[in-house]
Amino acid sequence: MNAIVSTHNLSKRYGDAYRVNEVNLEVHEGEVYGFLGPNGAGKSTTLKMLLGLVKPSSGKVVVFGKEFDKNRLSILRQTGSLIESPSYYGHLTGLENMRIMQRLHDVPDKNVCEALKIVRLENHKDKKAGLYSLGMKQRLGIAMALIAFPKLLILDEPTNGLDPAGIGEIRELIKSLPQRYGITVLLSSHLLSEIEQIATSVGIISDGKLLFQGSMEALQSKSQPRIAIKTVDNETAHVLLYRQGFHSVIEDDALIVKEMNDEQTAFANRMLVQAGIDVIRIEERRKSLERIFLELTGKEKSL
Amino acid sequence: MLIKSLAAEWLKMRKSYIWSILAALPAVSILIGTANYYANKSVLTNGWYSLWTQVSLFYGEFFLPVLIAICCAYLCRLEHFNKNWYQVMTAPVSRSAIFISKLAIAGIMMLIVQAFFLLLYFCAGKVLGLASPFPIETVGWMSRGLYASIAISAVQLALSIRIRSFAVPIGISICAAFIGLGMYVMKLGMFYPYSLLTIGIGALSQESLTIAENGLFLAMNSLFIVIVSAIAIRYLSKRDVVA
Repeated sequence: MNAIVSTHNLSKRYGDAYRVNEVNLEVHEGEVYGFLGPNGAGKSTTLKMLLGLVKPSSGKVVVFGKEFDKNRLSILRQTGSLIESPSYYGHLTGLENMRIMQRLHDVPDKNVCEALKIVRLENHKDKKAGLYSLGMKQRLGIAMALIAFPKLLILDEPTNGLDPAGIGEIRELIKSLPQRYGITVLLSSHLLSEIEQIATSVGIISDGKLLFQGSMEALQSKSQPRIAIKTVDNETAHVLLYRQGFHSVIEDDALIVKEMNDEQTAFANRMLVQAGIDVIRIEERRKSLERIFLELTGKEKSL
Repeated sequence: MLIKSLAAEWLKMRKSYIWSILAALPAVSILIGTANYYANKSVLTNGWYSLWTQVSLFYGEFFLPVLIAICCAYLCRLEHFNKNWYQVMTAPVSRSAIFISKLAIAGIMMLIVQAFFLLLYFCAGKVLGLASPFPIETVGWMSRGLYASIAISAVQLALSIRIRSFAVPIGISICAAFIGLGMYVMKLGMFYPYSLLTIGIGALSQESLTIAENGLFLAMNSLFIVIVSAIAIRYLSKRDVVA
């Protein structure tokens, strides 16, 4: 698979503080890449550096295999973007806003119609953009980003301000873009559930550092099942298990053992019962993605 | 590329309230100037030329610089609002095309304003019943005024791109126009864009410029346009975009 976007030790420093710290992003063709991180983690700054809106302090950006600094215009020609909140001219209608983008990208009329249809704004296209609801502005922003049907689409928090129905709709739209139009999507969000439902690959950033990058499955495999054993006497059980080579921790009045197969579980149960400790419950517990995310970003402490 | 961004800029301006301001300020200058002329008819005996001294004084020294500043501030305000700088700066056009297209739109607006002012001047003269033939020099004054306006537009655009506020660059233009009056009096007018407007438009002196003076006038304006544009384009290219 070709890397559509790659960054090499990309950093942005403001004064002494690193907003983005040596990030090596890699987005492959045909992916929906979810860029996940808490508020203020450096997502927007990174995306802005990919578009040349912010100049990196060090490191470089390579898009479509070309270095950004030397190929700005040819890269931008094949890139659509929506950064922070949608841009629009309030005194013009939705259609007129689209026409401005049409001029700048030099694309035919049918692109304008198609893009408006995709975001279902064609019935509101003659209304002033300033009078649009937030959700409609967001749709217009996506339509403007799509106008040239670019190879790469960069969306910063695309579902911000949309109602649940709108979120679902935009989600389905984004998921369909790689197959329908061959568009690679790079989107950011601070919501794990959002990324989980859209993305095929994930990058997790916190405090400017990329903490995880890989496929969605790779992230999910981090949530290995653990066995929780609840007994009448957890302290003694803990010691007994330890003697048998099982390392357990006591968590919420249960003993948690990592990596235990079926036979080991059966053995541990028999051993405890024979030692006179009643086993109340044995269950499999999975760490939620949410938990993994919080552990990775270290944000659970502040919650 | 320039054509693309020019077309885009034109779409932004076409349906905008700015046009009513463009029409209003020359009209106000003409009204004040004409009223002044009418009130002092006994001393102002040189017909069309005396009328010009009255209308062009208010126009060239105050209303036109302010109008240029308003136009340029408006052209940038469009982008300062609603994060439009992101949209503009990620469009596949060069940064110089962005600046030059804005300057060109400002120039077109100034052309329309100058033509409108000239028309109003003609009407005012007719209403006052001036008998002598319409002075052909006015066309020269207006053309030179237009060229000086473009130099000032470059300065004001650069300011408005840098300063997010709408009013501050306009305030600066008013101060600059008054300083320009001082520079003109000190015979340094050729080296200051706002005084070049005074000279070009024949606001304070209707004596025609010599060929050498005309040459210097053109050269100085061109110099200001090129230098200020280069600075502004460099700024657009180097800075981080904040919208």
